[in-house]
Formats: sequence, C-alpha cells, structure tokens
Amino acid sequence: MRWQRVLRSRFVVVPMVIAATVAAWNVYVTLHAHGLLQGRVVDAAGHPIGGATVILFTHDFVTQVEKARTRTDAAGDFRFDNNDSHLIQLQAEDGSERSPRITIRLWFRAQDRVLQQPLHLAPAA
Amino acid sequence: MIHSSRRMRQAAVVACFLAPSLLIFVVYRILPLAWNVVLSFEYWSPLRPATWAGWDNYSEMLHDDDVFWTALWNTLIFLGSQPIAIALALGVALLVNSDLKGAGVYRTIVFLSYPLMTVAVAIIWHLMYNEHGGLINYVLRQVGIIQQPIAFLDSFAWALPSTIVANTWQVLGFFMIVLLSGLQNIQPHLYEAARVDGAPAWARFFRITLPMLRPALFLCLVIGILNSFSAFDLIYVMTNGGPGHATELLITYIYKQAFGETRFDYAAALTVAQFAMLLLLTWIAHRAVGGNAGAIE
Amino acid sequence: MTGRARRVLWLRHATLIAISVVMLAPFYWVAKASMTGENIYDYPPHLWPVRSNLFNFVDVWYLIPFPRYLLNSIIVSLIAVAGNLVLNAIAGYALTLPFMGRRSMIVLLLSCTLIPFQATIIPAYLITAHLGLLNSYLGLALPLLSTIVCIFIFKASFDAVPRSLIDAARIDGLGELRILLRVMLPLSTPAIATNVVLSFIWSWNNFLWPLIITRSQDMQTLPLGLARFLSYMEDTTAALYAFVVMVLAPGLLVFLMAQSAFMRGLTTGATKG
Repeated sequence: MRWQRVLRSRFVVVPMVIAATVAAWNVYVTLHAHGLLQGRVVDAAGHPIGGATVILFTHDFVTQVEKARTRTDAAGDFRFDNNDSHLIQLQAEDGSERSPRITIRLWFRAQDRVLQQPLHLAPAA
Repeated sequence: MIHSSRRMRQAAVVACFLAPSLLIFVVYRILPLAWNVVLSFEYWSPLRPATWAGWDNYSEMLHDDDVFWTALWNTLIFLGSQPIAIALALGVALLVNSDLKGAGVYRTIVFLSYPLMTVAVAIIWHLMYNEHGGLINYVLRQVGIIQQPIAFLDSFAWALPSTIVANTWQVLGFFMIVLLSGLQNIQPHLYEAARVDGAPAWARFFRITLPMLRPALFLCLVIGILNSFSAFDLIYVMTNGGPGHATELLITYIYKQAFGETRFDYAAALTVAQFAMLLLLTWIAHRAVGGNAGAIE
Repeated sequence: MTGRARRVLWLRHATLIAISVVMLAPFYWVAKASMTGENIYDYPPHLWPVRSNLFNFVDVWYLIPFPRYLLNSIIVSLIAVAGNLVLNAIAGYALTLPFMGRRSMIVLLLSCTLIPFQATIIPAYLITAHLGLLNSYLGLALPLLSTIVCIFIFKASFDAVPRSLIDAARIDGLGELRILLRVMLPLSTPAIATNVVLSFIWSWNNFLWPLIITRSQDMQTLPLGLARFLSYMEDTTAALYAFVVMVLAPGLLVFLMAQSAFMRGLTTGATKG
C-alpha cells in the first residue's frame, strides 16, 4: 500500500525518530529532576567527618553565589534538596579546615546527583 | 456567445490568480523602488514632513562622503574576487565531472557550505581567523610562514580579503553545481571530433568547453555581482564594516545610514546609486560574456 | 587501465580529497571548539578536542531561548513555504492562460527580478510599519510570500503538460482551479519540490529582514538570535560555538535528507527573485 511507502520514507522516519528521542529525554528529565545532591565529606586521611558545613554555590549569570548550607550527619554524608541550577559548586569546611571548591556541571537543571568522590578537607594554608 | 463568456470568465480567473502575487511585488518591490527614488530627492525624517532637496543628497554622497567611496571601492574589490571564485569552482567541477567513484560524495562535501545561514558562516570564519585559537594562524605558524599571529579581522590590509575568503568558501559549491550541470550538457561528440582531429587537451578546453559554458558562466557572474551587492549578513556579523571602514560595503553603509543614523533620505540616495550600479554591472557582464547568454533558466 | 591513466586517477582523488579537507575544516573547527574542555582562545590550539564534554550545549540551552527562536523560524518558514506554493502555483498557472497583456505582464515580472531586496529595505520597513505588522510572524514572512523565479519555475512546468490533457479536462467542464489541482500540479512534483526548497532556504536563512523588523527578543528568528548572542556575550565563551552547532543542525539535517532537490532547486532558482 502507498501508506507503507510513505511511512518508510526518510521524511517521515527521521522526524519520528527525533520526536521519539525528545520525548524519551523529557521523560528521563522529569523522573530525575528533584534537585537532590548527595555526597560525603572526609578528612585528609579518608575518615568521614560529621558536623562539617557544606556550602552550595549556584550559577548566577557570570558568578557563583552562595545558595544554601547544610551540615553533614554522623556518617559524614550531606544532602541538598532544592538545587535548581545546572552549574554548581560545593565546598566543605570544618573549623579551620577547608576543601577545595569543586565544580559540578549537570545535564539539566535540578538533576539528581550523587557525588562519586567525597569532598576532602585539608588544613587551610 | 459561449465563447466570449468563457473568455470573460477566464480573464476573471487570471486576474484573481495573478492578484495576490502582483500585490506582493507591487508593495514590496516596485513601490519601494519608486519610493526610494523619490525619497532620494527629498529631505525627510520620520516625524517631519518632506521638503524638496533636489540633488543635495547626491552631491553630498559624491563630494563630501569619503565612506561612500570607500564602500564603493570595497564592493568592487569584492566583485573582482567573484571571477576567481568562479575559476576555482570550474576547476573543481572539471575534477568532479566524470564517473569518478565517489563523485557524489565530493559534490556534497563542497556544496555543504552553501545552504548554511551566512550568520553562522561569519561566526565560523571569525573563529578561524582568531589570533590565538584560530586554525588559520595555527597552520601558518606551524608551517613556518609567519612567526607572529596576524590579527586578520583587525588589520586594515587583511580584513577585506579575509571576508572574501569566507564568502568564497560559502559560494564555491553553488558555482560548482551550476558549472557542473553546464559541463554535463556539452555533447560528448564534440570532444570526440576534436580528439579525432588531434586537438590537445588545452585546445579542447578553450575551444569547446569554455564557449559552451557561456550561459552557465554568465549565470555565475550575475550571481557573483548580486552577491557582492548583498553580502550584508557576512560583513555585519564578521567585522561590521571595520576596522574603520576597511570592510564596509555599500549595503552595510546603507543599513547604517538608514537604521543607525536614521537618515532615510540619504540612505535612499545611496540605495538608488547602488541599484544603478547593479544594473550597469549586469549589463557589462552581459556584453562581456558574449551578449546572447541571457538565459536565466 | 594504463599506468598513466591510473596515476591521473590517483592525482584526481588526491586533489579532491585536499579540497574536501579545506571545505570541511571550518565545520570541524567549530565542532571541536564547542566540545573541547580547554580554553579555545589559548595558543596553541589543539587539533583534537581536549577533555571533550557537551556541557557548553547545556549552558547555551539555559542562556538563550533556543526553542523559542527555533519555533519562530519554523513558523515563519512554514508561512513562507505555504504562501509560496499557493501564490506561485496560481500565478504560474495564470501565466499559461491566454489573456490580453500576457506578454507585457511577463516582461514586467522579469524586470522585477532585477530589483534586489537590498534596494527596498527602507520603504519596505516603512510600509510594514504602516500596516502594523512590525514584530509579527506575518510581517516577517510577507516579503517572501511570493517570488518571481518560483512563478516561472511553475510556469515552465505547466507549459510542459501536454495540451491534450488540458483540453480533455476543459471538455469535461472542469473549472480553472480544478484543472490546476487535478491536472497540472500532480504532474509538476519537481517544480513543487524546487519551490519548497527555495522558499524554505530563503526564509530560514533570512537575516537582514528580521533584523529590521523585529522589535522584541521573543520574535527573533535563529539567525537573528545567533547574531545577537555574539554581540551580547562578545566572543569570550565557547558557548557561542555550541549555539552555532545547534543552529546549523536543523538546516544541515534537512539538506542531507533532500540533497538532490536542494542542488537542483538552488541552481534553477539561482537569481533570487
């Protein structure tokens, strides 16, 4: 039937594939965009540190501004719930020790992310 | 009776069918041209009524305006580069014109740059010419031709040639396709006869190929002329006429006068002058290519 | 194949490959700049992307309203293509019918092709402002709704339809519009394809007219958005080149899908009407 030939033509197949990919991506984004950030703070030796402060910086045009702070629990884990940016920085501090500011780039705003590497505290120089 | 009522009906149909297109052309081509001509003889600004200016705008353009002459000269240089582009395209077309394996792929690769938006082409070449991160400076320095990077788009000497190179890159594919279809329309038996007569390759080229390509060459030349009078997008995004007015073309100057300085009357005079020049150049091209090659497809 | 012929063949291929490299180099350079993790304004630049990542595209997505620009471009192009098909087909058909003054009408239209768009921008702007169509989709598409070159493409295609078919249709009592739709158009698919390609390309890539006509950011089309981005962010960021890639992608995709129609269309419609 002519309809089958029309359906197989590249002018139909290519837009359908693009539409399907876009739809699938949107579904993925909706399912994973809760603004969740989880990580862990360790000291120079690798022991988890409880009670350290972790600061979240979000992207604001050309600078990073501080958005929220939280403390790690006894196991050294921290979590942020309301990140809505796609370009963030995290820094931990505990007393006089600081971790370097690490930049995390997300694929979409408020993407849920569990940090693979912990934040290492080091004595402030 | 039936005959004439059918005629009348047909006439009415023709009128209805032609009306919308004609309306667009009258409103957006003929009327603006006439308006420009009238406006060029007036002093007018949008909030005040028009007053007659006679030849004042034109005399200002010709006597007091250095930028006009610079822009004109730049446009002519741009124009002069088009035959070079056409010659290059002819070379590529000759190379591709055969049952060479992969000819279609080569054709697509060369033509790929033509359907792009000129704004994107300008930005791409802006990067290519960059002093630090640009490919052109990198290659030149690696090969050893220059020691220090050249700021192509900021130098008075190199800016216009740089834009010409970018334009050639974009337009080469188009010229190639036009010349290719011209080449493929040449009957092979002419070549056979010449070969039998013992004519060497270069004679076959100059005596058979070039004359038979006259319509295609004329078309390319006309497009090249139109191109240099309308290369607004490229110049505006790449250099905006700079540095100074080194890459200012007539069309960018008109835009700046009309929408930058809001001197609609003066810009109208510039437009009329540019249009007259376009007609003159097209006529010259017509004569140069043999006089009877006005076959615009 | 003789040795000499083989050498000539290899030389041909080598030259063509060199030309291809030169023609493709700018594409590659921009793609590399959009994906590389190094500072693109450092000397010496690397030939391959370093620490390649796609985060520039994410930055661009949140920095400029790309979907909005894309939508604007699509809508304007759709209006232009649809308008072109309808207006050019009926005008081309009208030119095949005998009527008084047909020849002078053809001459008039042909001479209109000599008027380039640039010669009309100032009054066209003033007229569009009077009509109240500044900053609107219709205003963006209006000058492009009909082109003389495309009318003549249709006319040439309709002239090639055998008279016997037309006469048979007339005897059957079909009106002119029906003749156009039932007899002429189905036999003119190349002309339709050429029309679509030409009007799409001219409206999609159009920069000067949207530059003059649009007043607000959310009516901008893709070329305009691209140019504005350049002046807005200057050229201190690689996000610009990610934007270029995003802008070029739809056009390139359409081109690659309809290559032969493009090449044929752009060469027959060479002089921009």
